[in-house]
Amino acid sequence: MGWLVWGLGLALAFGLPGATWRASAPPVFPWHTVGPTLLAITSMALGAPLLAWIGGPPLTRQRPLALLEAPPDLLWAALVLALWPAAWGPPELSGWLVAFLAASLPGEVRWLAQAMPTEYPFPLAWGASAVKRVRRLVLMRLWGRWLAARLPIWLTATLVLERVLGVPGLGTDWMTRVSVRDRAGLTLWVLGLALLWTLSQVLDRDLA
Amino acid sequence: MRHLLLALSLIFASAQLTIPLSAQVVEESFNRDPGPLDFIQGDSYEQWILQSLAGDALVGLSPSGKVVPRLATTWKLQKDGKLLFTLRSDARYTDGSTVSAEDVLWTLQEILRDPKASPTKRAILQGADIGLDQGRPWIHSPKPLGRLLMELARVPIAQRNHPERGSGPFAYRKDPGAWVFTRRDHFLKPRIDGIRFRLLPDAASVMTALQKGWLTIGAPATRRQTALPLTHRLITQPMHAQLVVWSQLGVGPLQLLESWRKDAFPAQLLAMNATPSRGLWPETLGFEVQEIESGFALPRSPGTLRLLYPAGDESIEKLLLALRERARRDGFDLQLTPMEEGLLMGQLQKGDFQLASSMVVFDPHPWSVLEYMEPKGPMNFIGWKHPKLAEITSRLLQPGDAAWRDLQTLWARGPAALPILDFQSVIWVDKRLQVEPSPMGLYLHTPGAAGWRWNQ
Repeated sequence: MGWLVWGLGLALAFGLPGATWRASAPPVFPWHTVGPTLLAITSMALGAPLLAWIGGPPLTRQRPLALLEAPPDLLWAALVLALWPAAWGPPELSGWLVAFLAASLPGEVRWLAQAMPTEYPFPLAWGASAVKRVRRLVLMRLWGRWLAARLPIWLTATLVLERVLGVPGLGTDWMTRVSVRDRAGLTLWVLGLALLWTLSQVLDRDLA
Repeated sequence: MRHLLLALSLIFASAQLTIPLSAQVVEESFNRDPGPLDFIQGDSYEQWILQSLAGDALVGLSPSGKVVPRLATTWKLQKDGKLLFTLRSDARYTDGSTVSAEDVLWTLQEILRDPKASPTKRAILQGADIGLDQGRPWIHSPKPLGRLLMELARVPIAQRNHPERGSGPFAYRKDPGAWVFTRRDHFLKPRIDGIRFRLLPDAASVMTALQKGWLTIGAPATRRQTALPLTHRLITQPMHAQLVVWSQLGVGPLQLLESWRKDAFPAQLLAMNATPSRGLWPETLGFEVQEIESGFALPRSPGTLRLLYPAGDESIEKLLLALRERARRDGFDLQLTPMEEGLLMGQLQKGDFQLASSMVVFDPHPWSVLEYMEPKGPMNFIGWKHPKLAEITSRLLQPGDAAWRDLQTLWARGPAALPILDFQSVIWVDKRLQVEPSPMGLYLHTPGAAGWRWNQ
């Protein structure tokens, strides 16, 4: 089923309808943003499970977390931009990283907390160490699947942050390829995401 | 307390320090990625800016639109129809080598040979022969001299076998997240140290960057009525840009639009960026105001018209909503359908529309309107043709010739498209920077950015 969806994605990228007024060369792939993006995603991939491990399923009922989760990426980016001191110059990758973590961490923590099984009566009755151990095992089991589900979104949804903060990255890259109708480049993008998904499936199977 | 006072004094003192103007780089922004600098294949508005800074064409256009020398110091039309150029001897590429006639020959031949070459440049050189005569390049083109020269200003010369290397007043460097130009030793004698472009596609972010002093030049968001910062001044310049509507339903809907555009748009919506178009072709290109003279009566109401328009521009969307309300007063239902720009262009090229609109930026010479009319013209979406066209175009030798009036009259009898809005560029420029506005913008004329300077 998953491959069918990715296959449809590939077909859509390869046969993207439309044309451009003046033929534009596709952008150069922003290799310089791969490192910071990996840093951001690694921070996310470790930070969210860590917070979910500390907070556990009760986090789903935390009102402050819901409040932090509610604002869209646009608002976080605009907030960073507005609060960034003028004397520091435009927010570069550091500003983007702050906005990215602020925008994505609350939602991901809730996503993980929601997926964890209830802890009452067990393992709560067995004590705190049992609770922590169960949470760790659950999160390890969830980690691969969660990553597979969220990675394409993280890689592409950064577009909003990049647009507002003026930091061209991976989101801007695929969006520019859509606008200049770079079908080959888009196909490579979808293929790359599909391969990441496959890798996560393999990891998931190995963990099981 | 003493430490606090000391710290405050230091902060105050550092705020008083001024950066030497000679070291200042102009901070600018692109709203779209221009792609890699390529003098053969590159073809977009942003790419034209890169090329105008990093390259030199044989001739340039002055801010008033006159042909002026650039790489070529002189040119002469010979008896056999060849246009012979004499190149200047002090033009050099970034690697130090002199610009030669062989480079001119290679660039022009490569544009004609490479299937991926810029369609705009290829159209300029269509049907042309190119060669060398005693070390000087010549071009023999079926186009009239006036048109050819004005169009050649759009073709910067690249070094042979290096489509990314030009001889322009600024050296180009692509930094992570920025496009950087630094001053070179050049015959135009640029006086600013450099220009740095960042990608800022969001209009509100451009506004914030302007207000925080991160941009020297920028276009303020049209929907916000924000006061001009003390550090900047406002510059408005008419552009060769219009919002044009094409009709597949004949001239009737265009006649209706012609009457609606006069009073459809409230002044508050138009602001400083747009004015209702008058006539059929841009007045900025020197055309007189001409109304449609089809001889047909206006279509009768009630009626329904479906107009496709490019999605994503809030100000245009609001203006089109005003147009819809104006149509409703006359008993017409103008159905507005937003469409992604690429999809809209696909529909236009297939001719699959009733009415479709798009923003058009005309080349800075009157021949650019022929794109509406010529058989394979890039704006001839409905297959417009007329038996007299070839005869009239053969008489268009110079801007202002009487044949232009004949051409416009011919078009007025059955136009395929009608402009409804003329745009002008509204920008904020740092008060310390002297620039020269023109209908081509700040960059695309000669000297362009090479003529900018910081106030002392």
